[in-house]
Amino acid sequence: MQTPRPGRDILDRALRASWLAAIFIALVLAPSHPYDALSLLAGQLIAFLHFIFLRKIVKLFTEKRGGAGALIAIKLVLVYGGLMALMSWGRVQYAPLCAGFALPFAALFLKSMMLAFGAGPASLMRRGKPAVLVAMFLALAVTSPARAADPLPSTSGTHGATETRPGDAATSDPSHPQPGANAAEAHHEEGAAELPNWLVILHDWNPGNPVINWLDENQVIVFAWIAGFLFLFISWIAMRNAKMVPGVLQNAIEWMVESMENIAGGLLGEKHIQRHFPIIGALFFYILTINMLGIIPGMKSATSSLDLTLALALITFLYVQFWGIRNLGIVGYLDHLAGSPRDAIGWAMLPVMLPVHVLGELAKPVSLSCRLFGNIFGEDTLIVVFVGATAMLIKASLVALAVPPMAGITALFMMLQTLTSIVQALIFSLLATVYLYMMLPHEEHGPDESHAEPHATH
Amino acid sequence: MLFPAALGLGLPIGIGLAAIGSGIGIGFLGKGAMEAMGRQPEILPKLQVAMIIGFGFAEALTIYAFVTMFFLQGRIG
Repeated sequence: MQTPRPGRDILDRALRASWLAAIFIALVLAPSHPYDALSLLAGQLIAFLHFIFLRKIVKLFTEKRGGAGALIAIKLVLVYGGLMALMSWGRVQYAPLCAGFALPFAALFLKSMMLAFGAGPASLMRRGKPAVLVAMFLALAVTSPARAADPLPSTSGTHGATETRPGDAATSDPSHPQPGANAAEAHHEEGAAELPNWLVILHDWNPGNPVINWLDENQVIVFAWIAGFLFLFISWIAMRNAKMVPGVLQNAIEWMVESMENIAGGLLGEKHIQRHFPIIGALFFYILTINMLGIIPGMKSATSSLDLTLALALITFLYVQFWGIRNLGIVGYLDHLAGSPRDAIGWAMLPVMLPVHVLGELAKPVSLSCRLFGNIFGEDTLIVVFVGATAMLIKASLVALAVPPMAGITALFMMLQTLTSIVQALIFSLLATVYLYMMLPHEEHGPDESHAEPHATH
Repeated sequence: MLFPAALGLGLPIGIGLAAIGSGIGIGFLGKGAMEAMGRQPEILPKLQVAMIIGFGFAEALTIYAFVTMFFLQGRIG
């Protein structure tokens, strides 16, 4: 009794936050889409009632009191009946309804994540409340000018206004991402199909805004930034109060960094890893964060575009060549490129070996970037294909038949995607390590050769 | 034979052939690594790293075929 129960506290706070968010979004939506705003609030109300009843029922069960059955019946009638009635009402919009219904779940998830990460982020949020308010008003400012110029953007949009609805529904409700493939195809007619992310949704909702247009055109950059900031934020949260006896998050991060350093150090050697681990580790964790971002609904892996992977591979290539020249010297570097000719046969083979080695060096960034791009893009395409098939089955009103097996298969491939994300990030950074290792002088062979030489002179 | 038709037939076959090669390569790698692990379990961490790098190289061939398919996909039909 003396300590507040964390479950009750976290539920209350999550519900409060979700109400705030719902009212804010409804206020933003209200001038142009009044029914959308109403649907959103209705969905939020239904989910709120669901949680309230659930808590009451759980309390009755745990305290072994009667009346649970009656409460369950009331809940069934009120919540699910209300949901059914809402969905059968013609004016309601499915997408905002689903979004409103998902809001408390999302808030609860975020709150419990914060609880799991310790008091750090929660206290940060408490202190950062003015910042959150400023961000909200900034969002309002970004969204308002185009709405003023274009009062009904969703009906007068330049492309596929009818196809935007399923896209909206897809990302606002994480449990039903299936119908989204159509919106993606409608949006990116020229490219391959991909699941809609929140930028596409934003662009469909408000096509005239220059800021949103810019964000939509440069999705790869935006998602790479998001991943980078996420990576920085998590590291900062973990290492803000670094202690000798680490907390949960600090322990996890330290374990990841140390095991990565051990793996790369086993290849590169103790001496070089001290100098080169920053870039190798940064490559690994950055690519890992970007890859993992694609699993979250509404997000996208920036590595499923060749631009970003090619940039990363070029950075690696330049870094490796720079350290090659710096360690070997210009002459040594050219000698390395020529295949280190030491005898007549080596010099005779020079015209052949030099182009081969140069081509080999140039093939490295191409192979690095294509490997990462192909893997991540392939996984994304696989998921999109299954999601599209599910969407087709839903269109043919085979929902009950289609969704459970299809959703299961999609979830299975998402697990595979997690594995691929980790392995590809590891392979990219390890290959960078190997390429670096080829360019660096190898001290561990020095003593062996000096031992070998006296044997030869004997 | 029409160019799109040839492409539509050839690309999947090409990917399949590349996948056969990669599969054989990864299989050999895995076999060798498993045998070495069974013989000398204490070198497991070092072996795993080398094995994953080898997997990366072997798998890259299929990925090249896949990327080629992706680039040529738009020219089919």
